[in-house]
Amino acid sequence: MNTSITVDRRKFLGISATGLTIGFAIIGMAPLDDAHAADSTTVNSWLTIGSDNSITLTVGPSEMGQGSRSGVAQIMAEDLMVDFSRIAVVQGAPSLSSTAIGTAIVAGGSSIIRNNYWKFRNAAAVARETLVQAAMNRLQDNNRSSFSVKDGVISHSSGKTLSYGDVAADAARLTPPASAPLVPDAELKVIGKSLPRQDIPPKVDGSAKYGLDARLPGMVFAVIKHCPTFGGTLAATPGVPAGALALVPVNVGAALGRGADLAGNVNAVAVVAGTTWDAMQAARQLTVKWTLPANAAQWSTAQFTAQAQALAANATPYVAGGANPPGTLYTVESVGNAKDGVNKPAPGAKLVDASYLLPYVAHACMEVLNCTVDYVPGVRCTIYAPTQVANAALARVLLLTGLTADKVTFNTTLLGGGLGRKLEIDFISQAVQVAIALQRPVQLVWPREEDFTHDQYRPMGLVRIKSALDAAGNITAWTCRNVSPSIRAQRGSVLGATGDSQGYEAAQGLPYAFGSRLTEWVSHPSPIPVGYWRSVGASINTFAVESMMDELAFAAGVDPVQFRRSRLAGDTRWLAVLDAAASLGNWGSPVASGTAKGIAIGSAFNSICAAVVEVSGTSAASFTVKRVSVVIDAYLTLNPGNVEAQLTGGVVHGLNAALYGQQTFVNGVAQRRNFNTNRMMRLSEMPQVSVGIMPRPARSDSTKPIGGVGELGVPTVAPALANAVFRLSKQRVRTLPFFPNATMGD
Amino acid sequence: MPSYTLNVNSQSHTVTVSSAEMPLLWVLRDVLNLTGTKYGCGIEVCGACTVMVNGQPEKSCDMNVSSAVGKSIVTIEGLSKDRSHPAQQAWIVNQVPQCGYCQSGMLMSVACAMKAGHHGSSIASEVKNLCVCGTYPRIKTAIAAL
Repeated sequence: MNTSITVDRRKFLGISATGLTIGFAIIGMAPLDDAHAADSTTVNSWLTIGSDNSITLTVGPSEMGQGSRSGVAQIMAEDLMVDFSRIAVVQGAPSLSSTAIGTAIVAGGSSIIRNNYWKFRNAAAVARETLVQAAMNRLQDNNRSSFSVKDGVISHSSGKTLSYGDVAADAARLTPPASAPLVPDAELKVIGKSLPRQDIPPKVDGSAKYGLDARLPGMVFAVIKHCPTFGGTLAATPGVPAGALALVPVNVGAALGRGADLAGNVNAVAVVAGTTWDAMQAARQLTVKWTLPANAAQWSTAQFTAQAQALAANATPYVAGGANPPGTLYTVESVGNAKDGVNKPAPGAKLVDASYLLPYVAHACMEVLNCTVDYVPGVRCTIYAPTQVANAALARVLLLTGLTADKVTFNTTLLGGGLGRKLEIDFISQAVQVAIALQRPVQLVWPREEDFTHDQYRPMGLVRIKSALDAAGNITAWTCRNVSPSIRAQRGSVLGATGDSQGYEAAQGLPYAFGSRLTEWVSHPSPIPVGYWRSVGASINTFAVESMMDELAFAAGVDPVQFRRSRLAGDTRWLAVLDAAASLGNWGSPVASGTAKGIAIGSAFNSICAAVVEVSGTSAASFTVKRVSVVIDAYLTLNPGNVEAQLTGGVVHGLNAALYGQQTFVNGVAQRRNFNTNRMMRLSEMPQVSVGIMPRPARSDSTKPIGGVGELGVPTVAPALANAVFRLSKQRVRTLPFFPNATMGD
Repeated sequence: MPSYTLNVNSQSHTVTVSSAEMPLLWVLRDVLNLTGTKYGCGIEVCGACTVMVNGQPEKSCDMNVSSAVGKSIVTIEGLSKDRSHPAQQAWIVNQVPQCGYCQSGMLMSVACAMKAGHHGSSIASEVKNLCVCGTYPRIKTAIAAL
């Protein structure tokens, strides 16, 4: 096992106890994490067993509702052999150096548990054995088999007992082993149980602290007011409006490494007042003169769609070493001659050619973007931020303030939803700029309208799939071309020969038997800022692929489950998940008149997920989602109750987008400004959701990849819904959302 | 700047604000530092700012501070002293919250429906708060027993 274990004798923030501290390495997520957080040897997490019997885990990922903070405590409780509720989890602070104390790890990519499950287990086992060694020394019996451990108490065959706290100070003087025996699968008592999450009680009485809840003495409030048009810049600095204390022009601090084309542009002002509301009122009444980009008149949804359609028909291929501007066509995978297979189908073959169009979608986290900063020039800077990327945010703080890291205290708060939006640091950069100008504590808030209109949206996507079926119903050729703006290119990455993997993920490497296949991706040149939206590219491509599989099944006259089964020969995991979902969704049992079911399956973040959606109604314009049955195979399951919660949440996220979600643009201005025009499901609309979890193997294997959970509920819901609506109405919906004009009042 | 005396969670507070039209939400959050009540949309759609006013649910983002004078205001901080309100208990038992941001308003809507005499599933029709995490199935389970 690739791990790195140390005894750490430094004093840790927020931990008063002395005792044994085991430092260990967990890995973040490339490429969002910087190199040292993404390697597997730099110590960045600490488990402290105090002489007072306290147990504290200092660990980096932020908590945005996914439950991983509680989850890591649950993993460590197993091999530490203590009650899970005894482990207090402390949010680690970010660091930019491999030698400083720093624990921030990107919370994204459904990655925390799946990347680090065995590392957490080993560190806990190492801590336990180091404590046992201290007990062996104390009792002068070096025979390990004379000792047993239960609930944090070490018992000797003589009947003597020592608590972890009794020997923690002694253990701190020992050299821990690099690894230690783990609790065998058959004896697991904590892992695999639906334990209550530790973060929930403070979330029912208002005491949980999100970014917006930071309060500092003498603090003022600022709200952001961007140029409504993307790419616009401040033409002249307005005076301080009535009711405001100050007005601060701010740069596009922009996203992680977002391109130099935006850096340095002043595209917003912050209006500062004594309360958020006073700042909002002053900002609302303020007229600002902006310089608009010359071509903003071409930046409308209809133009973006027309551009995508043109590129789906004709795009210039990538040239190694060439300029490869936006609009370039990248070949992702090519097996056999799929182009000929679909363009010159054999006699008797059926050709299905369809284009699927998905819109830009806002994240719409319940907690709007915000950040609180207390800056004393040249002396110190204290930050409170709801962020998924504290390390990157810290780097921006140092750049803006010129302070060294030892003068910056970065507090990652709870996140009122992250969904990928809080992987960006634009709002943190803005808050620091305002604090530098004011030189007093300030909380910067994005009014909801700014949050919707200056998001970094789920990219739009146009996916054209052509496929040929022979007379026996075999898929003899499959070509898939995705046209979508590149998240990575917008952040300055130079794309290689296959383009942006987040554009084509879940379209590539499909396990279906295609006689020949060609997967391509074209970078759409849209100027609309795009970013990571729960499940990223899988949310686009799984809709296209699984809609097309359903269209092919219909063309072949074969049941959609049977059609997929016979093309998944040999892929036992996909087959098992497909069958389990069909079973959970009562696929094949007669449905009532006016109801229908659809199915879809897909893979993301090393997990496989399938969904059966049942609808009732009369047409694609009039239906109700009645039931969703969803099954996941993540290889290992830590907390089934939380897996159920996350998958259900993913289903809701996917349904919100499929039914209603879109951001539209006119002349470079986002049109949906608040929840009233960006409908989301309420309680009364919620379908019944059943979640199935494939059983964990009797013997788990640390070399097998563990799958993610947090984003997995999203990708398969939209295609399963469209497939159900097709069976209901014979109307094939290929453009999302289903109800583009729905409002909240409907 | 006008001053108002408010009764929040059975305590009297005198606040000085810029305008009689300042919404109760921002008085609670930015003047009284009662941050349990959340800002979500500011247009009475999402319900994150729901508080109890004279026993009724009110979206505090659109209730002027001046109209709250003389009324009994209960926020999530005052729902119970120790998370003992039956809805809070049901939320913990059923592991409802994910990110948790909407749940203050959600719980206040539920508490108001209970106060109005609703029980079990009839509470559900009174609750129109938005939850982006999608905790609705567990909310349904939790309120079924109330």
